[in-house]
Amino acid sequence: MMETFLYLIAEGFKNLWREKLSVFASIFAIAIAMSFVVFGGITGQDFSRIIKVARSQYELQVFFSPMISDSEASRHVDEIIKIRGVKSANLVTKQEAAEIFEREFGENLFDLLRENPLPSSCVVKFDENVKKKFDVHPIVNQIKMIKDVEEVRYQGRLITIIERYYQGFFTIVTGIFVIILLGTMILIFNTIRLTIYSRRDLIRALKLVGATNRFVRFPFMVEGMIEGFIAAMLAGSFAYGFIRVSNYFLAVFTRYKIHWDWQVMWQFVGLMVLFSLIASRQAVRKFLK
Amino acid sequence: MIWFDNVTCTFVKGAGLFDATFEVEKGEFVFVIGPTGAGKTTLLKLVYMEIFPDKGKVVVDKYNSSKIKQRQIPLLRRKVGMVFQEFELLSDRNVFENIALPLKVRGEKKREIKSKVYHVLDELDISDKAGHYPSELSGGEKQIVSLARAIVKDPIVILADEPTGNLDPVSSFKILTLLEQINKEGTAVIMASHNYNLIKDRGHRFIEVVDGRVSA
Repeated sequence: MMETFLYLIAEGFKNLWREKLSVFASIFAIAIAMSFVVFGGITGQDFSRIIKVARSQYELQVFFSPMISDSEASRHVDEIIKIRGVKSANLVTKQEAAEIFEREFGENLFDLLRENPLPSSCVVKFDENVKKKFDVHPIVNQIKMIKDVEEVRYQGRLITIIERYYQGFFTIVTGIFVIILLGTMILIFNTIRLTIYSRRDLIRALKLVGATNRFVRFPFMVEGMIEGFIAAMLAGSFAYGFIRVSNYFLAVFTRYKIHWDWQVMWQFVGLMVLFSLIASRQAVRKFLK
Repeated sequence: MIWFDNVTCTFVKGAGLFDATFEVEKGEFVFVIGPTGAGKTTLLKLVYMEIFPDKGKVVVDKYNSSKIKQRQIPLLRRKVGMVFQEFELLSDRNVFENIALPLKVRGEKKREIKSKVYHVLDELDISDKAGHYPSELSGGEKQIVSLARAIVKDPIVILADEPTGNLDPVSSFKILTLLEQINKEGTAVIMASHNYNLIKDRGHRFIEVVDGRVSA
């Protein structure tokens, strides 16, 4: 059993070598196309990291009515924490507000006015791990509906712009990825079809000597998988080169650097091998009856 | 061992085999004769179940054409050795690898394969050709390799479809002698040929096919 398995794996490798010209052309075409996907994927991952940092900086300031006490405000803060998408809400008591005022303006409110007119407030932070587009408005609306909330201050426009760009980038990269992946599957499907055609003598001989369908088909599937693996590794190398070059140019304008992410790279290789297997399996099923 | 029961197998334009009924016993040597296009190859294809009868049934050992499942066909073919006029050798593999193919398919161990292949090579006196590629062999040698590939799996029957069709008289005689030698060791042989002069005095049974009609 093991011997047969190893033989079939070896046959898959030999098939690659026997059809080296067409296989090389196909691997190269796939690798070029896929390198954009890897580049997009790694840049996207890096962009996600930046977005996460930006999201961790998003905050709202909720001001309560000056008429309510700190303990009443604290109850409202508990309500805010329960809102979906809110990571934290920290109460700023009237006393703390006065201290902040004194720190920033150098004047003590009690000395000036003989009372503290500042309201209780709270600082709300958001959950930065939202996968899709982050929308602050539903949260703001829910906060506004809480009794005694007088004002909500936030950088709504900036958040919207950042999220819109991120979403656009994410959609484009996903779209390109799907198109290139489909193209890759077609290329592998076609390469296996050509290989089957050029190996028809072997297939006939195998069938005549009593090979099962599985025995005949397996090396072609191995071949497809190896093709996908080599193309993915090559694509990774190309993408690594693109990133190095991009970082070189980025350094002229900004301190931002795209970070190479091995996890994304290996996920991509795994995905490519899986899709290559699917494509070659389909080709084998269609053309090897 | 092989039984054709009222078998009809037709192709377009009316060619094929019609109402064929005959039997081949275990260890028997049978010539299938008839002119080109008479239906000899069809008859052999029915035995290794590349094609199936429209009517009637073909029984080979325990396999019945009307009941056999697709996954059982490889098992049947492992019991049947085949030799063709065009040799059907793989040009990118040497003689050893060509002969080893049926054993690889059966999942035999490397050591066993080596021993069986060299045994057959010795038996057919072509041990010195083990590392040669088909393109380096003469027609007669190619057919001997093809024969070696057929017998290495120890089949119950050898189907030879015009095995001497592309060979000179000396090589043809040698192939025929080898087939008889294999038959003497207990393997049945069904050999299709239109070269009556080559086979007429060999003392074996004839099945004649003319226009798809069989007279056994």
